[in-house]
Amino acid sequence: MAINPIDAELMRNHMASIADEMYVALMKSAYSTNIKERKDHSTALFDHTGRVVVQGESMPLHLASMLGLVEIILEKYGVDGIRDGDMFLSNDPYVGRGSHLPDVAIAAPVFANGKLLMFVCNIAHHADMGGMAPGSMAGGMTEIYQEGLRIPPIKLFENHQLKQDLLEMILLNVRVPEERIGDYNAQIASNQLGIRRCKALIEKWGGDMITEGCDAIIAAVKKRTRAGISGLPNGVYEFEDIVDDDGLSRLDIRIRVKITVADDEIEFDFAGTDPQVEGNNNVTMAGLQASCLYCVKVLIDPECPQNHGMLDPITIKAPEGSVVNAVFPAASAARAQTAQRIVDCVLGAFADACPDRVIAAGNGANTSAAFFGQSQTGKYYVYLETLGGGAGARAYKDGTDGVQVHMTNTSNLPIEALETEYPLMIERYEFVQDSGGSGKYRGGLGIRRDYRPIGHTMTFSGQGERFRNQPWGIFGGGAGAAGKFTLIHDNGEEKRLANKPAALKLDEHAIISVVTAGAGGYGDPAERAEAGLQEDVESGKFSSDFMTRNYQQ
Amino acid sequence: MYIGVDVGGTFTDIAVNRDDGTTLLLHKLSSTPAAPEEAILQGLHSLFAQHDLKFTDTERLAHGTTVGTNAIIQRKCGNVALVTSQGFRDLIEIGRQTRPTVYDMHLDHPPVLVDRGMRFEVPQRRLADGRIHVPLDETAVEELAGRFDDADLDCIVICFLHSYAFPEDEERAAEIMRKHVPDTIKVITSSSVYPEFREFERFSTAVLNGALLSVVGSYLDRLTDEAGKLGLPTDVKISQSSGGLMSVRTAREFPVRASLSGPAAGVQGALYRARVAGFQDIITLDVGGTSADVALLKDLTPSEVNERTIGGFPVRIPCMDVNSVGAGGGSIAWIDTDGLLKVGPQSAGAVPGPACYDLGGTQATVTDANIVLDRLNSEALLDGRMPINKARSVATIDDLAEKLQMDSDDVALGIIQVACSRMVKAIRSISIERGHDPKDFALLAFGGAGALHAVDVARELGMNTILIPPNPGILCAEGAMNADITADFVNTAFCELAKDNVPTIQALAGTLAKEVELWFENEAVEPQQRRLFWSVGARYFGQNYELTLNVDMTLDADEFVARTRQDFQEAHVALYGFASEDEPVQIVNVMAKAVGELQQGQLPLIQAKSDAEPVEYRNSLFKSGVRQRTPVLRRVDLHAGQEISGPAIIEQLDSTVIIFPNDTCHVDEWGNLIIRLED
Repeated sequence: MAINPIDAELMRNHMASIADEMYVALMKSAYSTNIKERKDHSTALFDHTGRVVVQGESMPLHLASMLGLVEIILEKYGVDGIRDGDMFLSNDPYVGRGSHLPDVAIAAPVFANGKLLMFVCNIAHHADMGGMAPGSMAGGMTEIYQEGLRIPPIKLFENHQLKQDLLEMILLNVRVPEERIGDYNAQIASNQLGIRRCKALIEKWGGDMITEGCDAIIAAVKKRTRAGISGLPNGVYEFEDIVDDDGLSRLDIRIRVKITVADDEIEFDFAGTDPQVEGNNNVTMAGLQASCLYCVKVLIDPECPQNHGMLDPITIKAPEGSVVNAVFPAASAARAQTAQRIVDCVLGAFADACPDRVIAAGNGANTSAAFFGQSQTGKYYVYLETLGGGAGARAYKDGTDGVQVHMTNTSNLPIEALETEYPLMIERYEFVQDSGGSGKYRGGLGIRRDYRPIGHTMTFSGQGERFRNQPWGIFGGGAGAAGKFTLIHDNGEEKRLANKPAALKLDEHAIISVVTAGAGGYGDPAERAEAGLQEDVESGKFSSDFMTRNYQQ
Repeated sequence: MYIGVDVGGTFTDIAVNRDDGTTLLLHKLSSTPAAPEEAILQGLHSLFAQHDLKFTDTERLAHGTTVGTNAIIQRKCGNVALVTSQGFRDLIEIGRQTRPTVYDMHLDHPPVLVDRGMRFEVPQRRLADGRIHVPLDETAVEELAGRFDDADLDCIVICFLHSYAFPEDEERAAEIMRKHVPDTIKVITSSSVYPEFREFERFSTAVLNGALLSVVGSYLDRLTDEAGKLGLPTDVKISQSSGGLMSVRTAREFPVRASLSGPAAGVQGALYRARVAGFQDIITLDVGGTSADVALLKDLTPSEVNERTIGGFPVRIPCMDVNSVGAGGGSIAWIDTDGLLKVGPQSAGAVPGPACYDLGGTQATVTDANIVLDRLNSEALLDGRMPINKARSVATIDDLAEKLQMDSDDVALGIIQVACSRMVKAIRSISIERGHDPKDFALLAFGGAGALHAVDVARELGMNTILIPPNPGILCAEGAMNADITADFVNTAFCELAKDNVPTIQALAGTLAKEVELWFENEAVEPQQRRLFWSVGARYFGQNYELTLNVDMTLDADEFVARTRQDFQEAHVALYGFASEDEPVQIVNVMAKAVGELQQGQLPLIQAKSDAEPVEYRNSLFKSGVRQRTPVLRRVDLHAGQEISGPAIIEQLDSTVIIFPNDTCHVDEWGNLIIRLED
């Protein structure tokens, strides 16, 4: 390797600043709330062979999609079929490398002096991708065709020209196309920006040096990941966890993992996991890989830069056709719910390997609420949000209340922005008393958020997880409370809804109340410090009744 | 006579301009964090005695303080109760429901400044358009007020949803509270602190402001008392996060506005120096021991942002857009587990400091790298006050070189390059990423280590002019001394940029103009010193981030729309690379910046009568593998009009300036160094 460790670091810094710039430009100019407020998007730079070299700030679930995307484009078009001025688009989990249809990936090659040297790419979650239900995320569907428009890797640009007809076809298939076009524009502009910056980077270093630099940057992450794994004790670790349901026909879907740590390598084996389900919470291999990589990163090296080198010491096996390695035509819109459970399961398995680093189960979901309707002014809207809940208690402190966990860290939309943009109002946004599991360190509290339509009848769809199987405590800690959806009429009538309700209509005399799960505690409740007990009561976060039940000696 | 004081964590800097054309008087002494006014007064006493000056000759005493910031970081601020709309007492704790970082499961945001037990709800709720959904329950407010009777409480903060546009309920609740609670308890509203939409950030800003009232208030009392006893002006001016000054009266009411003023005062100082030296477009680079702060000034106008955090809490106040990165003279060089060389963000700080200080530091720092390359004086720094042990630097760098299997000089050069690449990244994000080409700007470097790294940074960004002010280490104090008083006003608009809405926008501006007028009156700003600047926040409907555009409120409706629309399109293209011709643009808010110009002293000219001669020669390294005989000059000896060809090193008390081979340096009449880089 001719490039020295200083130049490699200089090049990595420069590349990271390009990926970050693409990320911010996309976020600030996009239209979908998922992108502009909830940062459900990612950017990356690749080498000419399709390996990720640097990632911008990113959504963990996008990582594996990034890792394989350009390889698939290279496979389909061949190096000779890719030219300067091309731009590729894809969203399909089966022929592309997506994990669900609303994530649209757009990638572009970077040429210098006629030579293909790099790729830039971004992935963003669009507010709608067509299909049976607004938002393209609703449950109740049994195959991917119902979930939205499937797009294999295609050329959206050729010779610097946008294929207008293709874009028109896509837009005709999605709801509120006048907003979606803004998202496509933002993604395209982000890549064009990335290409300009990469060309300057290549000019500075020279093409050969770039290739060497990419190798060195990937090798560095490989080395770093192996060093981190070496810090874990060798052994075989197993765990099992449960997904509530698939919203259609199956309850209590089992995920099993057996992890083998051998020196500086890890093998994950998901043998024994239940088959894929009729509902839409199937995870494809890309999603499984992303979930496992997330766990490795949080346990061994939270600050490790992400690229292809991470994959090197990690092997992942899962039965084909299982809920964690689903095959066509399984529906996968809600794959994040199951991905969260994979994370719980893997962290549970690692408990004995690194007790001070793992945490108890949290709300373990991307509890989501989607609203669709036509406001009094006649304008259609689609609005989706995901809610946080309790985070698991840790070896040295309580779990956080009301926060996103693991694979998601999406921000809420300010209520004042939401109520200005949509004919909705939030009636309360608060912690759920007694929802954190007891323990030496207690679990975090779930959230309650109530929604009312203003001046119209709206359609609600939701996805809840840990609504049936409570988040577990660890090393003697108690379980957190489960969540629920409730329809509450102004006349006082209440109805508990399904965990994955679809297309429920309500007018302005009713509210949808979403309660998310809390989180499990860590360690024996008898060991909880006096100050903690006092704070639990004084804050009003726990009732005296709960305290008596859970902490009596 | 004008006095500027900057109180930092380690040093208190004082600059005095006698306004007689002779040198500025400068003084640097250790801060007294427990009572910051002590160092100020002590410093002024010795400076004034030394130069036989009279306190009563002082026109103005201006001051940047970190009292508020420190109080928040150390959580030593006042007790606050929060009163909010029914159903939302946890909102300030939930925040944005995110973790500080995705991959660290053990990291949390700081605990809210108001315990949950001190957060109260009252029935009250308005919708986005102002309609009353639940009327304010005045009886509930009264009952609540009764509970605060003998509470150990400094401030009650009223935070209702949509109060940015409809402050009536907050104001009414505050009025009731004030009637019922003891006078010792202050009552404030979120809309009075910063009336902009986005409830969490507004509430958080209001709570911080409430928590600082007593701390900052009592500090200002002590300071003005002491100043008054000496015969100094008691209307001390306080630096704001926007770089402008505010009166003590305003600072007592809105202490949060001073909380990020440190870096802003430095930029303000840079701005003043650049203006006098005849520069229009500059990027500032302030490199200290731990971090580098950068800012961009187009037409000598700093860009502003209003999203910042203090101690992990979001604040929405107008701030100079200063970007900070953990790379400075004390930043530690280390080899990561991936085998690559990293620099910072850990810093050796002042103690133990770089290895060459010989105070126990064992890790190589950026300063050690500069010592090894003989760019820095390897015998002593700070005009001889800080002895240097070069052998320590060499040993730490050799150690890294062995691990990396590289030449020691190349490693030292690499450490500087990596540190500079992080500063470059910080500058890229405020220039290139905002549609500005750094080539069109001069780099104004200051801080102890700014001038040492300016050339590397400028070259990497393609910039060809560098400006080093006479006193790089004390520019923050100069900035406070030379600023004007300013105030920012905002009103939320939420309407389409269309001809029919221009009267609405102008009406909002009219309301602000009245507030501005009142402010000018209260601050006793003479009519000929008043300046007023209008801007709007604009975005396409459906977007979430607004762009700030300067506007002319006197235009007729058609022209206002056309001009604003065009400016928006251009700004959008510059930032994001595209713009839509036909999509409607939304005006989110209307903003006014009021400036009261203050009398400024003349900056003194330099005194030397003939060109400076080198005091020694050094064998310095500027390029891998090449050491070069390099003359060393003293800054105080430089003569106006002197031309210096690189390589050269210019040393002064608070900084070292490096001029690379083939670059040239011109000394102007005020003592600024203007370095031109070879193409």
